[in-house]
Amino acid sequence: MNELDHLIGALLHSCSEHILETMFFAAVFDNADSQASNGCKRVASRLHFHGKPSGDFEVDADPGIARSLTAGFLGIEENEVTPAQEDQVMAEFCNMTCGSALSSLGRVEYFSLETPEASRPHEFAPTVDGVRRAFLLEGGTLSVCLRVDFESAAQSG
Amino acid sequence: MALTILIVDDSPAMRAFIRRVAKLSGIDVDCYLEAANGQEALAQLAAHPVDAVLTDINMPVMDGETFVREMRGDGPFQSTPVIVISTDATTERIQTMHELGAVGYLQKPFGPEQLRNELDRVLGVRHE
Repeated sequence: MNELDHLIGALLHSCSEHILETMFFAAVFDNADSQASNGCKRVASRLHFHGKPSGDFEVDADPGIARSLTAGFLGIEENEVTPAQEDQVMAEFCNMTCGSALSSLGRVEYFSLETPEASRPHEFAPTVDGVRRAFLLEGGTLSVCLRVDFESAAQSG
Repeated sequence: MALTILIVDDSPAMRAFIRRVAKLSGIDVDCYLEAANGQEALAQLAAHPVDAVLTDINMPVMDGETFVREMRGDGPFQSTPVIVISTDATTERIQTMHELGAVGYLQKPFGPEQLRNELDRVLGVRHE
């Protein structure tokens, strides 16, 4: 793992933890195995961003975690949460964590986040090949993955 | 003084979160107006008096940059304070939004205290 990947990994950890605590009222208990969600039922959201740099970001969570995060974000009971609300809230987490990590990366000049796309795979397989971190929350895990491409942005810019 | 706040964001979940956080912060809000993009927001402004606008940047139909530029044109909304709420905290983006006429910038993530502080600051500036 190179120096940039180490930095991205650290930012994914700090940004995810801060966002979960501040806006979702959820605590990160520990790191989790970033490969453990492969093949499992997950609620996921993915976005592409362009600028300098460009890249992709993906978040996936246990369905129970998606539900509890949605309830925490909206201030409602878990049994009131709808799948549409889960998709919207996971999209917000995707948007915020990606934007926060990019804003803290230092080498970023500008970026624009595209609208996140939600998915509910029964057998999850990561669609972003980047730096991945997973966290243990109360009742399950949540993973984030960021791919940053400085070279193609430099070539196109 | 109870405020009328216009929340502009394409995500219904984010609009609900802002309402929730404003309530938790103790801000005295009489009426929340909502819009999913800049075009809807301009229509809301034309129909209702508003004390402050909280707007996202990345939105379909009309984004936050265009919306703030339109507000700061020759229309009647030139003096209505605008606070941008965004994940993007790059210097370039913040500078652009301020140049367009935003008077506040709140980076996500934020909580009740940050929202209240920014609204107080912006409305205080407005009343000076």
